[in-house]
Amino acid sequence: MKRVLGVSLILALVLVATGVVVVPAQAPKVVKIGDIGSKVGVFEGYGKYQSMMIQMAVEELNAKGGVLGHKIEVVVEDDETKPAPAVRKTEKLILQDDVKLVVGAVSSGATMAIMDVTKKHKTIHWNAVSCAEFMRTTKFHKYYFSNQPDSRMQANGLAKYIYDKMGKKVYIFYTDYAMGQSDGRQFKTALEQLGGEVVGVAGAPLDTKDFSPWFGAINQSNPDVLFLAFAGTDSLRLMTQLHSFGMTKKYKLAGIDCFLLQQDLAAIAEPMEGFVQLAHYSPYNPDANMQAFNAKFKKKFGVDGNIMAGAYDGVLFWAAAVEKAKSFDSDKVSEALEGMCMEGTHIGRQCIRKEDHQVIMDMHLYRVEKGKNVPIVTLSGKDTIGEPMVGKDPIAGFSWEIKKKN
Amino acid sequence: MDYLTAVLLPQLLHGLVFGAALGLLSLGLTVVFGLLGVMNFAHGELFMMGAYAGIVVIALTHSFWVAMVAAPLMVGVLAAITEVATIRPIYRREPLYGLILTFGLALVFREGIRQIFGGDMRRILAPLPGSTPLLGMTYPNYRLFLLAISSAILLAIWLFFTKTRAGILVRAAVQDAEMLDGLGVNVSRLFTWTFAGAAALASLAGLLLAPVYTVYPQMGVEMILLAFIVVILGGMGSMGGSVVAAFIIGIAQSIFTLWMNPQRVAIAIFGIMIVVLIARPRGLFGREGVLE
Amino acid sequence: MSRVFGWRAAVVFAALALLPLSPFMSRYYLLLAFDALLFGAIAMSLDLLMGYTGLVSFGHAAFYGLGAYATAVLLERGVLSLWLCLAFAVVVVGIYALVVSYFSTARRGIYFALLTLIFAEVVYTFFRYTQAFGGSDGIQGLPDAQLWPGASIDTPVKKYYLVLGYLLIAYAICRVVVSSHFGRVLVAIRENEDRARFLGYDVQRYKMAACMISALLTGLGGAIYPVRSAFATPDLMVWTESGEFIISVMIGGIGTLVGPIIGGAFFTILRDKVSSYVDWYFIVIGAVLVLIVLFMPRGLLGLRGWRRPRRAAA
Repeated sequence: MKRVLGVSLILALVLVATGVVVVPAQAPKVVKIGDIGSKVGVFEGYGKYQSMMIQMAVEELNAKGGVLGHKIEVVVEDDETKPAPAVRKTEKLILQDDVKLVVGAVSSGATMAIMDVTKKHKTIHWNAVSCAEFMRTTKFHKYYFSNQPDSRMQANGLAKYIYDKMGKKVYIFYTDYAMGQSDGRQFKTALEQLGGEVVGVAGAPLDTKDFSPWFGAINQSNPDVLFLAFAGTDSLRLMTQLHSFGMTKKYKLAGIDCFLLQQDLAAIAEPMEGFVQLAHYSPYNPDANMQAFNAKFKKKFGVDGNIMAGAYDGVLFWAAAVEKAKSFDSDKVSEALEGMCMEGTHIGRQCIRKEDHQVIMDMHLYRVEKGKNVPIVTLSGKDTIGEPMVGKDPIAGFSWEIKKKN
Repeated sequence: MDYLTAVLLPQLLHGLVFGAALGLLSLGLTVVFGLLGVMNFAHGELFMMGAYAGIVVIALTHSFWVAMVAAPLMVGVLAAITEVATIRPIYRREPLYGLILTFGLALVFREGIRQIFGGDMRRILAPLPGSTPLLGMTYPNYRLFLLAISSAILLAIWLFFTKTRAGILVRAAVQDAEMLDGLGVNVSRLFTWTFAGAAALASLAGLLLAPVYTVYPQMGVEMILLAFIVVILGGMGSMGGSVVAAFIIGIAQSIFTLWMNPQRVAIAIFGIMIVVLIARPRGLFGREGVLE
Repeated sequence: MSRVFGWRAAVVFAALALLPLSPFMSRYYLLLAFDALLFGAIAMSLDLLMGYTGLVSFGHAAFYGLGAYATAVLLERGVLSLWLCLAFAVVVVGIYALVVSYFSTARRGIYFALLTLIFAEVVYTFFRYTQAFGGSDGIQGLPDAQLWPGASIDTPVKKYYLVLGYLLIAYAICRVVVSSHFGRVLVAIRENEDRARFLGYDVQRYKMAACMISALLTGLGGAIYPVRSAFATPDLMVWTESGEFIISVMIGGIGTLVGPIIGGAFFTILRDKVSSYVDWYFIVIGAVLVLIVLFMPRGLLGLRGWRRPRRAAA
């Protein structure tokens, strides 16, 4: 028994030493916000840039006195790109750190999982990059806001251009989890509605190392265009391997908004040559607002910005809403955010649609030329956002079946 | 005919390429088990560290070829030190201790690498770029090289074990270590060299596969299970068995992806393994009594 | 002959029962305590197999995960009764455990470890890639379970008492097993399987029974998990998770029942809490594991030698 006591005491001491029990001293009048996302692993680029964008917004706000006289502090958590740790960490952010805003996550699976938590604990939740179609439909709740064009918006934007300018026969290759499935579904729907033909569909698990097992089927179906719904390191691997099998020259390539961060383009410029990508932000877009934002970001961090700029906007929106509502109370802030328009975001002016808390955002199509995203078409937000479908099933009636022509 | 060339044969080729590298990896594991009686859970991490050692060497020398020599050396030395310090003391204990201890070693290695290099993915560029028109598709030259070099190394090892005194000694020791001791051979030193050699092989496999799979701390975790399966299928302690089994598993994996969802293939492979363990635990070429 | 519940155990449980009343225990800490006690209880049931029967299972995470999915599947469909979920989990885990234990105990040595590992991998891969169960994201957004209609287990305090109850029952069962004749046969098998066989005991039957008890207790623990987390994911079943159970047993003290509870609790708190501040603790854990095997195979709390018969409870 003495041994039990002794050992327990030692273990307890160890825990104390590692700071478990220590309660950090609090500066007066501080408000905390949570930054949760993939800080390591397949999506870590997005997670790291999310942190940088949030940091820039917070510093700007604090320089002007913070929000409602409170200095803003950011608590950063890594969700390991999985729903379970995301939920645990978000619980910690809300219950222990008492954050008034949660920004995140990166992976759609994680974002949807923490939406349950933010709903339950009534915390304002801003999503800047996840694009599955469920967040503003079946999983929607009143504290959730987003300025990331979701897969439905992206599909609407891409399908028409691909059908008109690239080819009518498309092979859809996606990453087999929430985001990729979502993109695949929406794009197939959009393309078939225009009269295009989906000659084949396949999904590879997240974090696949070797994509070559799928290449035989792709070659066999003989498409004009490869539509790729991948992100992060998967995209890097996929493009390298497609290139080594000669497929980047054989087919036209197109992909979603988060396929590759501009920063990673340089490493695989050659495989990506001619790739058509959709994005709402690029440092190479001559638009005055984007250039101004990029200059600001580059001055601070020494690198170009990317689509994670949505996180910067999110913090600014939240702060503006708190000021407007004169309170941190989530219900009041949520009301203030609905329909709010704001200047000074990474693309200038943004407005949040009241019905589904989505920003009506213009997007652009870019073609990769010599490692740079060059804009080719502008897509108006109003054309792509689609009808609000809060509470409705966005995939009702969808089928993966390939309807082969001739 | 179109199906054959466009789909089936390339899959076979994928299987051969992967099987060759898997053979390199599994060979070390089976020798260590046969000789030392330790099922090394950290073998996957040795594989992983080979790739990271490669990154370091390539950063310094810009040569993949130098890395092919230097990386296995580096990992081999680390393995030798590890063996003397931690594994040697437990030879006399139950094999389950070896499992748990090597599991702990694997943790240390994996997380240690993550601390040093960060958790993000690194790339090693293939030293042989370009591709060759083959079987109706253009096949990357590097993968062909991978197949060639792995086979060459396996052949060299076979020659070592059958034609050289040292190799025959090791094979004898795998059969009966106590007899060797009686013959005056320094068994401890033999064990250390063998362990280091197995580690060198594993790390070489890691480096060779790196341009295809990219480099990240978890890469060992994913390979170790396959390596275990190969070793069991081939017969624990049977070197020829593990090579044959590696090719079988590599090709089986590739061919199965044609008939079922690539993600379910793992289940089929595990299923085979369960059947083997139940019906014939000694595998294809293993000795009786090892697992029975 | 020790009683099932010594007064020392009673004191500890009473202290645990009073824990939520402490002002220090925020909602977050209560949930953390839940995780710690759950993990500890599962480590304890693994110890029944590892410490007392001498069988190292590298696939225990599958029992845990299956229990969790069983509950999740029912909760997802609106079957909110906790009792039905537990019963269903017992059935599901029981069938799986029957198959695994039958084949794994057929031969000796590391055979058991390897087979449990591979069976668990099959289960993990199946759940990871089957969309009907949510694929890699698992089953999310589950409603709270109920004791009976109207009595929802919705607050962290209620969840805490649920896991405490589970720990109590699991502990009692383990104690009964260990101090019974059945338990002593298990120890005999661990010491020398052949001798036990020569004495006339059907060794495989005993091993299977031990495995089933351990598996079912673990499965029940897994079944309780979604009540706290509102999800079940395939990550609960990765083989490294099984490794973490083993680590908990080794740290706490193999063959002591109580040790693994503390080991499991310690490990959970370390993992969930410390990971926010430092991320190199796994290196320490790995090193500790190596050191324990080399110098202290009995673990921090272990008795004086795993290989010798256990004396009355301390």
